[in-house]
Amino acid sequence: MHSDIAGETRAEPGFVGRFLARIHLPLDDPFAVVGLIIYAIFIAMAIFADQLATHDPLEILFTSDYQLAADRRPGQDGFILGTTSLGRDIYSQLIYGSRSALLIGITAAFMVAVIGTVVGLLAGYFRGWIDIVLMRAADIAFGIPFLPFVIVLSAFLEPSIWNVVFAMAMILWRDTGRVIRSQVLTLRTRAYIDAARVAGSSDLKIVFRHIAPNILPLSFLYGTIAIGWAILTEAAISFLGFGDPETISWGYMLQDAYASQALSTGGYYWFVPPGICIVLVVVAGFFISRGYEEILFPKLKE
Amino acid sequence: MFRLMPTNPLAAYIDPTFTEEQQLALMAKFGLDRPLWEQYFIYLKNLLQGELGDSFFYRQPVGERVLELLPNTLILTFSSLIIAYAFGIIVGAWLAWKRDSIAERTAIPLVLTTRAMPEFWLGMLLLAVFSFSLGWFPAGGTRSPGSEYSGYFDLYTSRDFLVHLVLPAATLAIYSQGLPLLLMRSNMLEVMNEDFVTMARIKGLSNWTVVVRHAARNALLPVMTSFAIAVGYQIQGNVVVETVFSWPGLGRELVNAVSASDYPLAQGAFLMIAVVVVLMNLLADLLYNLLDPRVSHA
Amino acid sequence: MSNDILRVTGLKISYAVGDSKVRAVDDATFSIPAGSIVGLVGESGCGKTTVARGLTRVMAKSASIDGGEALFDGHDLLGMSEPQINQLRWREIAFIPQSAMNSLDPVYRIEKQLNEVLLQRGGYNRRQARQRTEELFDMVGIDPQRLRDFPHQFSGGMRQRVAIALALALNPKLIIADEPVTALDVIVQRQILDTLKELQEKLGISVILVTHDISVVAYVCDRIVVMYAGRVVESGDTETVLTAPYHPYTMGLYNAFPDLQSSEGLLTPIEGHPPDLRSPPPGCRFAPRCPFAQGRCSERGEVPLVDVGHGHMSACLRYGEAASLRTDASKAETWAAMA
Repeated sequence: MHSDIAGETRAEPGFVGRFLARIHLPLDDPFAVVGLIIYAIFIAMAIFADQLATHDPLEILFTSDYQLAADRRPGQDGFILGTTSLGRDIYSQLIYGSRSALLIGITAAFMVAVIGTVVGLLAGYFRGWIDIVLMRAADIAFGIPFLPFVIVLSAFLEPSIWNVVFAMAMILWRDTGRVIRSQVLTLRTRAYIDAARVAGSSDLKIVFRHIAPNILPLSFLYGTIAIGWAILTEAAISFLGFGDPETISWGYMLQDAYASQALSTGGYYWFVPPGICIVLVVVAGFFISRGYEEILFPKLKE
Repeated sequence: MFRLMPTNPLAAYIDPTFTEEQQLALMAKFGLDRPLWEQYFIYLKNLLQGELGDSFFYRQPVGERVLELLPNTLILTFSSLIIAYAFGIIVGAWLAWKRDSIAERTAIPLVLTTRAMPEFWLGMLLLAVFSFSLGWFPAGGTRSPGSEYSGYFDLYTSRDFLVHLVLPAATLAIYSQGLPLLLMRSNMLEVMNEDFVTMARIKGLSNWTVVVRHAARNALLPVMTSFAIAVGYQIQGNVVVETVFSWPGLGRELVNAVSASDYPLAQGAFLMIAVVVVLMNLLADLLYNLLDPRVSHA
Repeated sequence: MSNDILRVTGLKISYAVGDSKVRAVDDATFSIPAGSIVGLVGESGCGKTTVARGLTRVMAKSASIDGGEALFDGHDLLGMSEPQINQLRWREIAFIPQSAMNSLDPVYRIEKQLNEVLLQRGGYNRRQARQRTEELFDMVGIDPQRLRDFPHQFSGGMRQRVAIALALALNPKLIIADEPVTALDVIVQRQILDTLKELQEKLGISVILVTHDISVVAYVCDRIVVMYAGRVVESGDTETVLTAPYHPYTMGLYNAFPDLQSSEGLLTPIEGHPPDLRSPPPGCRFAPRCPFAQGRCSERGEVPLVDVGHGHMSACLRYGEAASLRTDASKAETWAAMA
């Protein structure tokens, strides 16, 4: 942290450059590296989904003799992971599922990190009534049961994967906001902030030039945690039947399998792979955030 | 808020053969013909009088219905959390004691993996393996079809009920043990460096006394506080697991009520869950004050 | 001297730091005559606390004893198996820590913490233990009513008395007190030291008193052992050593602390810091900070402890000129010149 602050007074590269420099990926932690590799694989999967998938995930497939290709076992009739009871290709669904997972995960993480950071910055820097109002709002957000809230929200909005993102943005900024605020409170007492103020910098300039860069790693940490949360929440919402039936997600696949009695017919090939994908992406986020915690809070390493 | 739901709440209630007049009469009976804001004020007024309204679907007071389901949810929550905490505390303390061993190195990623599992997926796996494939446990509900119980006590203490409880409770317990485990471990690591633990060693006290009576007892304080918070948290998470196991609790009721646009019931269930969350947060503070003599004997 | 309760010879203790080892205690030699208080004194980081903890064999995981001997009642503490030394802990060798606040378990009443050692280590039954706890509180001057209190309900001085009561619980032969009064104000310091001295004399216990404050040693100790950078640089009767020190470090330390009896006089600090033990200076380790250092002081090889008369040992090459060094050392300019 000290060297960070010293760096603050040096010649400043562009904002993006500084941003990247500050994120410094935790490459010396083996778990974090594993997490990053998992992320890379799923990102590649999402980008090249069109090339990787063998079928349209929603298309109802038929065999060459015009029979419905339903409940095929893995490998049977050339279906890598078999088909659903409606004759849809499970492997292709799995591939396309990575798109919605990453889309939801990354946007939700972005919203949570941005809202939380802005709230924390405003409350911590300006204090006074802004602080009081924002922190009361955070208290209220803490009192709202999250999953039930998302369910209710999904029910009166049109079914869409964005409901989850929206609900997360409305609730989960609370954790990030509180942590960032306390960090800002300690930062604003540092000497170089006073120096900047004496030198005539405006509040806005102080916040964005001197304080924001120092809390970016923290926002990033909470963002990383939010990715996993978003994917898990989306899966739960889809599973409960409040998801978007037009979008293939891993949660939707699990709901489909559950509703189609795959559990009682031993259709492990249907409901195990999506679950594993969810676990891998979420656990990758945990590993990366653990690597961050060690950078941010070296005491934990001891 | 619940009034904003798109479908006509009476859709489930009204028979298509009803005439227009009959429909309007029904709407009037439930007060649905009045403007939304007026409906809301009536609702708030009733709420203050402890009146949650009637469920459209069950044609039964919401309060009654919700209170009927609450014990099922609480039993599931507490039984799973007690198992999770007992396991998490013991294993967490043990892992701290075995710091840097192979056991510790493999256990931590494993625990993180259990936290990364969607609870309902874990439930599905257990259901597929232990119920459908092996046939050891029933697939859902709280009792076998056809069985009758004279009262709640009879039901909750019956073998039948307990057998039904195993899989959903195990699902929640496996998911929940990570929090107390990781918390206990990190607290232990911190407490083991405290002077009073070193002093206990210098006193020549047995390993058991040093690790359990001094280190673990102190590391336990924040973990116990987290229990109450975990109850509040778990009640929310129950929604999916109750659905997987068709467990007739508040969470499943909320899902069903929302799906059926039975909004008095949905609101009642949501409110009840929120009340438990808030109560548990309060309890957490009380518990901390009670357990820490530095606060209770200030 | 056969009536020594403890005789430490050539004690070496090091800490693992990363891949390398740091020798925190290097060849420490001293003895504790039965029934006396011996002050182990030096700046922080000189290895005195490491010696104290090393004698209990309860140390940080990274610490290891690399050599030497510590004969306690004729048995080598360092060569014992863990069960053997555990037998001696608290029954024969007790410990008073620096901060009684942190070394008392916050969640148990004091009574319970006393009972714990009495029952588990002393073989007392409940009734005997009850009697003994009250007796102990009487001895250290606390109302036995307060046995039912929790640690945080005591003041700093009272807690230190509790720590003394705990140490006395099983009638040990030796008490190691690690900075027992450091956190306290001067008046309370004196009260606690008076209590300790009085009980030590009454019960015939031996005490190793570890402190950075040479005035504490002057106040209660019969003998003094001065350590610097992991080595013993001077030892002997407190009065002899403090009236006529032979090592410049002892002279410097004496200048740097106020008298416990009066707080008058100017204090002259020793400039600089103790050396980094990862690469200690050659020869006399104090030479880089010593106003009297000569070229030969920094030559290779340890400066030996030499008997300068009646068991007064000093490890200074210029011990022959001690009298004139003392005169210079009493002047502030001598030390200021090193700044």
